[in-house]
Amino acid sequence: MASISLADQLDDAIEMMIAEPDSAPPKVDLKIGELLGIAAELRLLPDPAFRAALRAELLGQNNPAPAAVYSDLRIATAEAEVPWREQRDGAILPTLSGEGYGNYPFHLGNIAISMAIHAAVIAVIAVAGWWMEDTSRAHRDSGGIFVMKISVPPLPADARKGGGGGGGNNATPASKGALPRFANEQLTPPTIVVRSEPPKLAVDPTLVGPPELTMPTMSQIGDPLSKILSVPSTGYGSGGGIGDGRGAGFGTGSSGGMSGGAYRVGGGVSAPRAIYDPDPEYSDEARQAKFQGTVVLWAVVGVDGRARGIRVARSLGMGLDEKAVAAVGGWKFEPGRKGGVPVPVQVTIEVSFRLL
Amino acid sequence: MKALDSLNVEDRNEERLQVEAARQDPARFAELYENNFERVYAYVARRVHDRQEAQDLTSEVFHEALAGLPRFEWRGMPFVAWLLGIASNVVSDRWQSKAQQKEVATEGVEEVGVEDGIEKRAMLYQLVDALPADQRQVILWRFVEQKSLREIAAKLERSEGAIKQLQLRALQNLREQMRSSHG
Repeated sequence: MASISLADQLDDAIEMMIAEPDSAPPKVDLKIGELLGIAAELRLLPDPAFRAALRAELLGQNNPAPAAVYSDLRIATAEAEVPWREQRDGAILPTLSGEGYGNYPFHLGNIAISMAIHAAVIAVIAVAGWWMEDTSRAHRDSGGIFVMKISVPPLPADARKGGGGGGGNNATPASKGALPRFANEQLTPPTIVVRSEPPKLAVDPTLVGPPELTMPTMSQIGDPLSKILSVPSTGYGSGGGIGDGRGAGFGTGSSGGMSGGAYRVGGGVSAPRAIYDPDPEYSDEARQAKFQGTVVLWAVVGVDGRARGIRVARSLGMGLDEKAVAAVGGWKFEPGRKGGVPVPVQVTIEVSFRLL
Repeated sequence: MKALDSLNVEDRNEERLQVEAARQDPARFAELYENNFERVYAYVARRVHDRQEAQDLTSEVFHEALAGLPRFEWRGMPFVAWLLGIASNVVSDRWQSKAQQKEVATEGVEEVGVEDGIEKRAMLYQLVDALPADQRQVILWRFVEQKSLREIAAKLERSEGAIKQLQLRALQNLREQMRSSHG
């Protein structure tokens, strides 16, 4: 019983000490005087939650935190009966409909603002859809929108042509005769003017060009179209061919093959690639008729990257053929190449006109 | 917890290793923090007489210590002496910022390291953790949360008389532990 009275007396003194911390120590029994001194020291006992939180903060993140944080957190702790850290997390991440959601006040104004924002977003989406449809319709009415599909389809290599060649710097044009066979590489140039003894190991003369090309045969080598019969000549040109051009081909061009011809894609010949291809215009007639289709053009892309000899391989009509030709004529290509050297290449180009 | 003046050579070598480890890896600061928290807090609390402010300043001290650890030079003094030096500056700065005409702590590092009052209070704080669970809970609620006996009784579903008895036993336990620690 005495123990109970001692406990009561001690608690009364502690209660007074907590309620009035600046007041003088109450007069108590000597038995509890020392205990009350310990209790006085415990008034500043650090919060274990603070100790743990500071440790975690120091070790988890090395950035100094504002000291005032702890003041705010302690206020929250004093008002709530949950652990310090849990209270902090709950304040940061409140749940919408989970545990404790009823603690948050309900404001009708917030609901109204939320509904207004949602309505505004829905309206913007609806107006944007209507605007897109309206704009698309306007473009269709004006015929100003089209899609152009361009392709340079590769063609079989069995009909490749070269760009021509030249002769042996003779004083006269090439004399009449048959062209020697064409080969990819030239071992022996055609010899019409014999200036030396026949070689011990004879190799048939060839011209550089598609081997598939076949020519009429004659006893004499020369230009099949030449009218010169008496004076043997390989022509004015140079490079080991026949004709007035340069190279080991035939004719007035260069780089082998036959004059005026062009390579086709395949067999080591790369396709030209359009590097500047502005859209063609849509003809008024086709726009009004809402006419769509594809024009196929045939052209030779020269070593300068320009399309020449453009012809319509498949017509579409309504003025679209002309528009396609005009557009492709202004295009710039990366020329096709054979062995790394730019060569003229024959291509077909598809130009598709589409209304959106 | 050993008193500062009772740290032997082996203890100081171990503390030095802890400091070196923390300088290499800040995550190793944990041991230094655990060993010195009560002393730093007790030092600060003795001067500001307010738990909230003491906790804020203690936090500031350890943050500054962790940031300044690369600059720490071992001169044979206990690590806590360096911490208390920081604490002294932090408390002074706080007082100056408040423009209060209070006496600023002027103790040197050596003086504050062996201050008996700090040692006793730091030990008391540590002994609370060693109390039986129910007694410790009553002490924390009563002095940290400043709850009334009625509130504590309701939370523990016990009578107020039982709570008074727990409080009394807890304080008696602390007294006995303090006496045995100080001979």
